[in-house]
Amino acid sequence: MKLGGTLVFVASVWLWLVQTQIPDAGAEWPGPRGFPQLLGVVLAALGLLLIAAGLRPPTIRGRETSPTNGEGPPKGARHDARVALATCTVLVFYAFLLDRTGFPIATMVVVVVTMAAVLRMRQRILIAGLALGLSLACWVIFNTLLGIPLPSGAWNPW
Amino acid sequence: METIVSAIGAATTPAVLAATAAGAVVGLLISAIPGLTFSLALILVMPFTFAMDPIPAIAMLFGVYSGGMTGGAVSAVLLGIPGTPSAAATVFDGYAMARKGEASVALGASVIASAFGGLFSLVVMMLLLEPIAALAIRFGPAEIFALVLFGLSTICGLAERSLVRGLVAGVLGLMITTIGLDEIDGVARLTFGTVQLQQGVHMLVAMIGLFAVPQVIETFATHGRVTAEIATEDVRGLLPWSRLRGYWGLMTRASAIGTIVGAVPGTGGPIASFLAYDHARRFSRRPEEYGKGEIGGVVAPEAANNAVMGGALIPMLSLGIPGDPATAIILGGLLIHGLQPGPLLLQTDLDVIYALYVTIVVSWIVILLVQVAGIRVFVKVLRVPAHLLGVSILVLCTIGAYAARNAIFDVYAMAVFGLGGYLLQRARIPVAPVVLGLVLGPTLERQYRTALILSEGSHRIFFESPFAVAFFILTAAVVGWQIWSSQPRQESNGLSRDA
Repeated sequence: MKLGGTLVFVASVWLWLVQTQIPDAGAEWPGPRGFPQLLGVVLAALGLLLIAAGLRPPTIRGRETSPTNGEGPPKGARHDARVALATCTVLVFYAFLLDRTGFPIATMVVVVVTMAAVLRMRQRILIAGLALGLSLACWVIFNTLLGIPLPSGAWNPW
Repeated sequence: METIVSAIGAATTPAVLAATAAGAVVGLLISAIPGLTFSLALILVMPFTFAMDPIPAIAMLFGVYSGGMTGGAVSAVLLGIPGTPSAAATVFDGYAMARKGEASVALGASVIASAFGGLFSLVVMMLLLEPIAALAIRFGPAEIFALVLFGLSTICGLAERSLVRGLVAGVLGLMITTIGLDEIDGVARLTFGTVQLQQGVHMLVAMIGLFAVPQVIETFATHGRVTAEIATEDVRGLLPWSRLRGYWGLMTRASAIGTIVGAVPGTGGPIASFLAYDHARRFSRRPEEYGKGEIGGVVAPEAANNAVMGGALIPMLSLGIPGDPATAIILGGLLIHGLQPGPLLLQTDLDVIYALYVTIVVSWIVILLVQVAGIRVFVKVLRVPAHLLGVSILVLCTIGAYAARNAIFDVYAMAVFGLGGYLLQRARIPVAPVVLGLVLGPTLERQYRTALILSEGSHRIFFESPFAVAFFILTAAVVGWQIWSSQPRQESNGLSRDA
C-alpha cells in the first residue's frame, strides 16, 4: 500500500516534470515527450495496482503482510540504513575530494574515513597501509600503466 | 582451399599469436574489474595497434573482444557485480553459487560455456555469413522494436516473486534512459539546465550504482560474513566437466540465441544473456532453483553473450553495420588499417576474413588456458575479508564511474544510484529489470519513433512485417504464460506481496 502510494506520487511528479521541463518541439506524438509520458502513466497504473492489491481482504492477502512471517523489515534494518547513508555520503565526499585534491589524496582520505568512521576499525597500521597501498596501486595501474586518466584535482599545484 | 591454408599460415605466425594472446589477457583482466568494460579495453588497446600490420592488429582487437566477453563473468561470480553489462544475467546464479562455496565451479562452467558459445557462433558465422546477413539487414525499426519488446518480456522471468514489482523496476529503468538529449529531435529532456545531464545517465554508471554500491553496503553492514562462507571452499577440479552433463543442449540453444541476437544490429550481449537466462529458467525442470545457484543460470547467459560475438560480426563484416558498441570500435580499427568492411571485403580480402576466423579460435584457446590457470587466483580474491574487499570495490567502482566519461559528475550519479539501489532492495523491488530497462530503453524508444516517422505516424508499420508480428506473438505468449504459471503461486502465497 505504502509502496503503491509512493509510486503514484513519483509518477505524478515525473509527469509534471515531463510536462514542464521537456519542450514540445512541435512534433507529432510521440515526439520527445511521448515516451516519458507513457512511462509515467504506466508507473502510476502499476502503483494503483499495488494499492488495489493492498486493499484486498487479509484472508486473500495471506501471510505476506504479517511481520512475524520473516518477510517484514530485516533484522538490523536501522543499522543497515545508517551504513547505507554513511556509504553514500562517503561517495559524495569522495567525488568532492577527487575534484579538488585529485585521486591519490582523495582515495587515501576516503579509505581512512570509510574504515575508521563507517567500519569503526581501530587497526591504525592496517588502515594506513590499505589507504596508501590502494591509492598508489590504483594510480600506478590505471593512470600510469593503462593510461586511464584519473582526476588530478583543481588544487594540485603540479 | 589455397586461401584458407594461406590464412591459417598468416594467422599463426608468432607475432599474430602473441598479439592475440596479449589482447585476450588484457580484455580478460580489464573486463573482470567492475565498471571497466571491454569496450574501454578495446579503446585502450587501439593505439597499440597503429604501428602493427593489419592481421596482428586485428588479431589483438579480436583477442580483447573475446577476452572481454568472458572476463565480465569473473567479477559477476566472485563479487556479485557484473564486470560488463553482458554479464549482468550471470550474477543471479553465479554469485549464488559462489556464496554456496562453488565459486570455482561457477567460474569453470562460465569459461567452458563462453568458449562453447564463442566457437559455436564462429562456426555458424563461417557457415551462414551471407544468408544471415541478408536476413538481419531486412530488419527495420519495426522489427527491431518488436525484438527489443520481446527482450523486455524477460522482465517477467526476472521479477522474482512479484510480476508487478518486476514491471515497476523495468519501467524505472526505462525512465532513467529518457534523461538527456533526445536522440531524434535533439531536445533536452529532464536535464534541469545542467550540461552533464545532457549526455544522459551513463548505463555503466547506473549499473555500478545499482549493483555494486548496495553490495558494498551489505559487506560493510555484515562485516565479512559473506567472505567467510565463500573462503572455506576447497578448490578442486578446475573445469567442472562432470557438472555440465545435461547442460550441453542448453548451451547449444543459448549459443543459438546469442548468435541470432548478435546478428541483429542494435542489440547485443546484455539482451542475448537475459533472453538465454530466461529461456534456461523457463525450460528447466527446476525453475525454482534459478537465482539460488543453478549452474544452468551461469552457462546459458555466458554461452549466449559470447555467441553474440560471431553474430555481431556477420552484419559488421558483410554489410559494414556494427551489431554492438564493441564491433563499432573494431570497425573503426579495421578502417584505420585500410580495410573497409562490407560486401567488397568478402571478395577482395577473403584471406583477412579467414585469418580472422583463425585468430578467434586462437584467442579462445588462450582464454581457456588463462582462465583455467587463473581460477585459483580469482577464487583467492574471496579470501580477502569482505569489508576490506568492500573498501577496494568502492575505490574501483569510483574509478569505473569516473572513467566512463572522465566526469566527476558520474561519481555523484553513482552515489545517487547506489542509494536508489539500496532503497529498491528495501522495497523488495528487484534490480535486474531496472538494468534490463536501462539496456533496452534507448533502442526501444529510438526504433519505435523511427518506425512511426517512416510510417508517418501510422502504427500499422508494426503489423506489416511478419518478423515483427512473430516477435509480438512471442512477447504476448511469454507474458501470458508467466501470468498463467504464477497464478497458483499467487493464490497460495497471496497477492499481498504487491501491497
